[in-house]
Amino acid sequence: MRISRRRAAATTAALVTSALALTACGSSGGAGGSDSASGKVEGRVTFQTWNLKANFKKYFEGVIADFENKYPDAEVRWVDQPAEGYPEKLSADAAGGTLPDVVNVSPDLAYPLAKAGLALDLEKTAGKYRGEYLDGAWESHRMPGMTGVYAFPWYLNTGPMFYSKELFTKAGLDPERPPTSYDQLFKDAVTMARKSDRKIAMLAGTPSIEDFGRYGVRLMNARGTEFTFNEPKGVELLKHYKELYTAGALDSQALTAQAESAGRKFQQQSVAMNPGSALDLENFKKEAPGLYRHIGITDAVNNTGKANMYVQGLMVNAQSKVKPAAVAFAHFVTGKKNQMAFAKKVTIFPSTKGSLDDPYFTKEDGTDATRVRVASAKSLKTAVNYTPVLLSDQMKTVLRNAVAKAVQGKQSPRAALDGAVAECNRLLKTA
Amino acid sequence: MTPGERFTVAEAPAVTPPPAPARRPDRGTRTQLPSSPWLFLAPGLLIVAAFSLYPFLSTVAHSFTDARTLTAGQFVGGANYRELIHDAMFWTGLRNSLLYVLGVVPLLVMLPLLLAMLVQRRLPGITFFRAAFYTPVVASVVVVGLIWVWLLDDRGLINALLEGLGFGKVGFLSDPWLLLLSAMAVTVWKGLGYYMIIYLAALANVPRELHEACAVDGAGAVRRFLTVTVPAVRSTMVLVAALSSVAAFKVFSEVYLMAGPTGGPGGEDTTLVMLVQQVGTGLSGRVGYASALSVVVFVLTLGLMLLVLRANRKEDA
Repeated sequence: MRISRRRAAATTAALVTSALALTACGSSGGAGGSDSASGKVEGRVTFQTWNLKANFKKYFEGVIADFENKYPDAEVRWVDQPAEGYPEKLSADAAGGTLPDVVNVSPDLAYPLAKAGLALDLEKTAGKYRGEYLDGAWESHRMPGMTGVYAFPWYLNTGPMFYSKELFTKAGLDPERPPTSYDQLFKDAVTMARKSDRKIAMLAGTPSIEDFGRYGVRLMNARGTEFTFNEPKGVELLKHYKELYTAGALDSQALTAQAESAGRKFQQQSVAMNPGSALDLENFKKEAPGLYRHIGITDAVNNTGKANMYVQGLMVNAQSKVKPAAVAFAHFVTGKKNQMAFAKKVTIFPSTKGSLDDPYFTKEDGTDATRVRVASAKSLKTAVNYTPVLLSDQMKTVLRNAVAKAVQGKQSPRAALDGAVAECNRLLKTA
Repeated sequence: MTPGERFTVAEAPAVTPPPAPARRPDRGTRTQLPSSPWLFLAPGLLIVAAFSLYPFLSTVAHSFTDARTLTAGQFVGGANYRELIHDAMFWTGLRNSLLYVLGVVPLLVMLPLLLAMLVQRRLPGITFFRAAFYTPVVASVVVVGLIWVWLLDDRGLINALLEGLGFGKVGFLSDPWLLLLSAMAVTVWKGLGYYMIIYLAALANVPRELHEACAVDGAGAVRRFLTVTVPAVRSTMVLVAALSSVAAFKVFSEVYLMAGPTGGPGGEDTTLVMLVQQVGTGLSGRVGYASALSVVVFVLTLGLMLLVLRANRKEDA
C-alpha cells in the first residue's frame, strides 16, 4: 500500500495533536521539475541559514545586496532558524513542501534529503564549479549509494582542545605539556582525579562517533553498507573510558551530558579539558574570565594523524521553482570572496581552493586567537569528517546508550558495541 | 397534592395525548430547521475532525506501514507491533511510565488537597501564598526543568547543602533511579498548584455545618478530614487521579530536560512518549514504528482512565 504524501504529512499532526509524540513526519520524495539549473537568474530565492542571524546579520545582508546588484531580476529572502530543533524544522518543511530554495545543511542532514529526491545533484547541474573547491570539501557531500554531490561546500571548522593550566598545575601535571596522545590523556586524567580527590575530572563527555574515528576505529566497511565500530580498537577505547569513569576522571554526569552542559562544567572549572572552537575563546573572555586567564589550547588528540573536520554546505532544493537563481546564489555565497570575508568575521575556514594559504591563515601575531586559527587551518588540510552521513540521530542514540552501559559496567564493552552495531545495521537496512 | 401523599397507579395523571400536528406556519413566520443544531456544532466538529480525529485515524493507518519522515510507507501488517514486543527500549519505557504513574498520582491526589485546606483559611496574606503555590503551574516547564537541573547538579545548591551538612554528594542527575525520582519530584512540585485550585473549588462547596456538627460530636481534625472532607471531595479526588494519571503516563518534558535526549544513562529513564519522540522525529524518523508506539500509548492511557473511573463507580455502588 502506498501512503500518499498528504497522508504522510498528516501523521505529524496526529502524533502532536494526540499528545503522544513531538514528531514531524513527511512526504514521499520525488523531485519536482527538471534538474536543469541553466536559464536566466531571476525570481525570488528563499535562503535558510542555521542560527547565523544573531551574529552575522550585517554580513549576510551585504552578500544578498551584492547578489541582487549582480542579478537585478533576482531577489533573495533570507530566513534563519534557531540551532535547536533544526533537523525537525527541515523535516516539517520537507514534508509540507515548503523547503526553502537554498538550505544550510551538514552532510548528515543532506543525506536523507538527497535520498528523498529533495536535493539537487550539483555535480550534474553545476559541475563546472567543482574546481573552485577543495577536493575533500566537494566530496564531503557525496552520498553513499548515490551518484552526485548534493550541496556546495561552505565553511569548514575543526576544534582544538581547551584546558585549564591552573587545574593541570594543581594536579602536578605540566601545564605547558598537555596530552598529545590518547595514552597520555588517559594517564593524566587518572592522575588529575587522584590528586583532586575525584573533585576534578579531566573530561565531561563520553566518546561520540567522532572520537571513535579519531581513536583509529574503522567506523564502516569500505562499501558503506555496515557499521564496524565494534572492532577491537573500539572495544579498547571503551575499556579506557570505563577505567576513567571508575577512577572519577570522567565527570559523573558525563553519561547524560550534552555539549552545552559539558562546556558549562569546563567554565566552572570542575572539568579540566573540553573540546571547542576558536569561537569559544571570546565566550571564555566574557563569561569565565577566571578560566580565560589560565586557558591552554592544544590540538585534539588523535591516533590517525588527521583532525576531525566539521563541514557545512548549501543545498539547492530540487523542487525549487527558481533553480537557476538558487544555484547561482548558493555558488555566490560559497564563492572564494564571500567565504574569505565570512572567515574574517568569525573563526571558520573557507572550503575554496587556495584560501587556506592566505596569510590570514598562515601567519601568527602572537595572540591566542591567531594561534588557534593558524593551527586549525593547518590541520584542516588533512582533516576528515569522521561522522558517517548514514549515521542517523536514532543510531547516535543507540551508540550513546551502549557507551553508557559499558562505562557503567552494566555490559562489557564488547557486548555493548556488538549490540549497538547490530542495531545500527538493522536500522540502516530498514532505512 | 400535599407533601407526604403518594402516587398510586390509579391516581397517576393521565398521559397527555400527543398534540395535534401544528398548522403550517404562515408566510413570514420563523421556523427552526432540524439541522440547525448541527450548523452551530459544525465549526467545532470540523476542528475536532481535522486536528484530532483525522490525525488519530491517520496514525493508526501509519502504524501498519514502514513510513519514514521523507519516504512513503508500504503496508507491513502488524510488523511494527511485533517489533515493539521485542524492543527492550519499549519495555523500559513502559516500566518507567507506569512507575511514574505510581509515584506521582498518589502524591498529586493527596498533597494538593492538604495544601488547599491550608490556603483555604482566611488569614492575612493568604493570597500571597495561594499565588506562590500557583506560580510553578504558570512557569514554563523548560524553565522549571532547567532550574531543577541546576539545583540538583553535582555542583548545585542541594548537593552543596548536603556536603555542608556532612553528607556526601548525591547523584540526582547521574543515577538512573534517582534521576527518575527527581523528575517525579519536579512533576509533583509543578502540579501541586494546579490541583490545589481544583480542590479549593470543591472545598468551597463543603457545608461548614457538617464540620461544626462533627466538632460538636467531639471529632478531632483528622477525624473531621476523614469523615467530612474526604467524602465531600471524593469525586474531585477521582477527577484529579484521572487527570494526573493520564498526564503522568504521557510525561515527556521533565524527564527529557533532566535526563537528556537519550533518556538518562543508557536510556534507562526513557518513558514511552520520549521513545516516540526519539524514534519518530528527525529527517530519518521511523514514522510507522513511532505511530505503532503512539497507538499503544493511546490504548494504555485509555485503559488507565477507564480503570480509575471503574474504581470510582465501584465505590459509588
